[in-house]
Amino acid sequence: MKNAAFSFGRIPVFRQVNLKIARGEVFCLLGPNGCGKTTLIDCMLGIHTLDKGRLCLMGQSRTRHSPKETARVMAYVPQKHDRHFSFSVLDLLLLGRTPYTAFYASPGKPDIEKAEKILELFGLSHLMHRDYTRLSGGETQLVMIMRALIQETPVIVMDEPTSHLDFRHELIVLETLARLIRERRITLVMATHFPNHAFYFENAGIPVNVAFMGHQTVVPSGSPSRALTEENLARFYQIETVVMTRTLAGKGRIKQIIPIKTLDRETEGRP
Amino acid sequence: MRSFRRHRTLWYGLIAALPLVLGVCSVFLGRYPVSVRDIGALAAAAWTGQGMDPTHFSVIVHVRLPRIILGALVGGSLAVSGAAFQGLFRNPLVSSGMLGVSSGAGFGAALALILFDRYMYVYPFAFGFGLLAVLLCFFIGRLTASTQAITLVLGGVIVGSIFSALISLLKYLADPYDELPAIVFWLMGSLSRAEYDHILTAGVPMVMGSVGLMIIRWRLNVLAMGDREAHSLGLNVTANRIFIIVCATLATAGAVCVSGVIGWVGLVVPHMGRMIIGNDNKALIPVAFCMGAAFLILVDDISRLISTSEMPLGILTSLLGGPFFIYLLRRTRGREW
Repeated sequence: MKNAAFSFGRIPVFRQVNLKIARGEVFCLLGPNGCGKTTLIDCMLGIHTLDKGRLCLMGQSRTRHSPKETARVMAYVPQKHDRHFSFSVLDLLLLGRTPYTAFYASPGKPDIEKAEKILELFGLSHLMHRDYTRLSGGETQLVMIMRALIQETPVIVMDEPTSHLDFRHELIVLETLARLIRERRITLVMATHFPNHAFYFENAGIPVNVAFMGHQTVVPSGSPSRALTEENLARFYQIETVVMTRTLAGKGRIKQIIPIKTLDRETEGRP
Repeated sequence: MRSFRRHRTLWYGLIAALPLVLGVCSVFLGRYPVSVRDIGALAAAAWTGQGMDPTHFSVIVHVRLPRIILGALVGGSLAVSGAAFQGLFRNPLVSSGMLGVSSGAGFGAALALILFDRYMYVYPFAFGFGLLAVLLCFFIGRLTASTQAITLVLGGVIVGSIFSALISLLKYLADPYDELPAIVFWLMGSLSRAEYDHILTAGVPMVMGSVGLMIIRWRLNVLAMGDREAHSLGLNVTANRIFIIVCATLATAGAVCVSGVIGWVGLVVPHMGRMIIGNDNKALIPVAFCMGAAFLILVDDISRLISTSEMPLGILTSLLGGPFFIYLLRRTRGREW
């Protein structure tokens, strides 16, 4: 995504939103529960149409874009995936090839090879023929990420990619994403509840931009070190936090944020 | 099942051959005895252009063959529509009559039976009211802002029960000696009125619908992910959903208008397919067609053999399908399901 400017206007959820996401960066959207992160993402994906405003992708305005065209540029990893039918992991991965598959056709041999390659990359080849409804939450999330990768898009949009993952799986997901961003210059847009994810990518040396969402608007706040301050977290989440910095041998400076306690509702600051 | 997965091609072949084998065998089954030699004589007569015993000819060509062809078409159409609706609505309890096609068609048939003396009006009435029922579902679905799958299902339930009530009303008003038995018999389903011209006219929507679903079958996998994900995977959800509903409705309405309401096939045959071959619609849709065709040919054979007055198919499909379904459930323990 190059020089993309999003301007949204949608009265009940958000208005006057201006965002710019550069190619190869991680864009972290933070905000309290129910502030409209998912809606904003739906608008980016074209699931909802904007009431007002313009949406540009790769320098082109797309007022009336087809889902197929969008799907060739942006892949989506859902926050919550409802499993209705037991498909095999391979069948599920092949769904990522939809934007390249004609109306009457189904994915062919080259697509299956792509799926096999991705599974190998993740070291999960043994899952190929497994029933995906029987995978653990972490494995399912990885399969969803693999499906997005198989879509071969320059942009991946994730809605809370690591919710209900354990520490190890969370790190596996983050490490894989970091590697992919570096290797393929993928742009990652993610809504998350964990400010530490932004720090993780910054610690890994990847350009990161943070934006806070709340009170029907989005405030772009720059890099995590600038944005994720104790003051900002107090403002948007009404919590008291401490940002810890530590230098590790071989890893450089590591930053993490630690929540301490909730702040009194009376002293709630408005932006 | 493990073994199914390992020998996939073999199973596809077996399932595809099933309706053909059953169809051929069915020529010999029935009250009137037909032997292999008669078929030979028929083939010779067709080859040389000379005549054969007219009774034999009539039994094979004008009675049994059309029933077998019609049975295969109706069974296949109901099964693929059911499989498609289950995938589309992401609900395993949905059947081919989900959007009220069957009750609408039943009402149309009952109305025609009461209004007209001639039976020929039943087919267009059944077909027309079947389509009308689905259109009504669409309008009910439109009442809410989004064309969500769930409002369509709800619309189907509402429209279905309205038409069921109207059928009851017509039954209540019908002449109990003449019209009422005709309505009741029609509603239980039968292939006994199979004739070539019916097969030709009703076959058009059945074949069109089934072929349409066959073409788009892989996309059912995408739609099974839910609207948001299907959209983000590059699918125009509304257009694809309408296409599938139109196809399934054509297939079901075509089937119902010639054969009456044959339950069970559009609900459980797809599940039998799911247990054997899995949920991948790319494989499931053709498998469901073949299994539905084979199942209805078989049930019709039994209906012809079991008594001199034919047992309605709607009764037999449930009586035979139920135990078979339980057997499959036991064999596979619902693993693929």
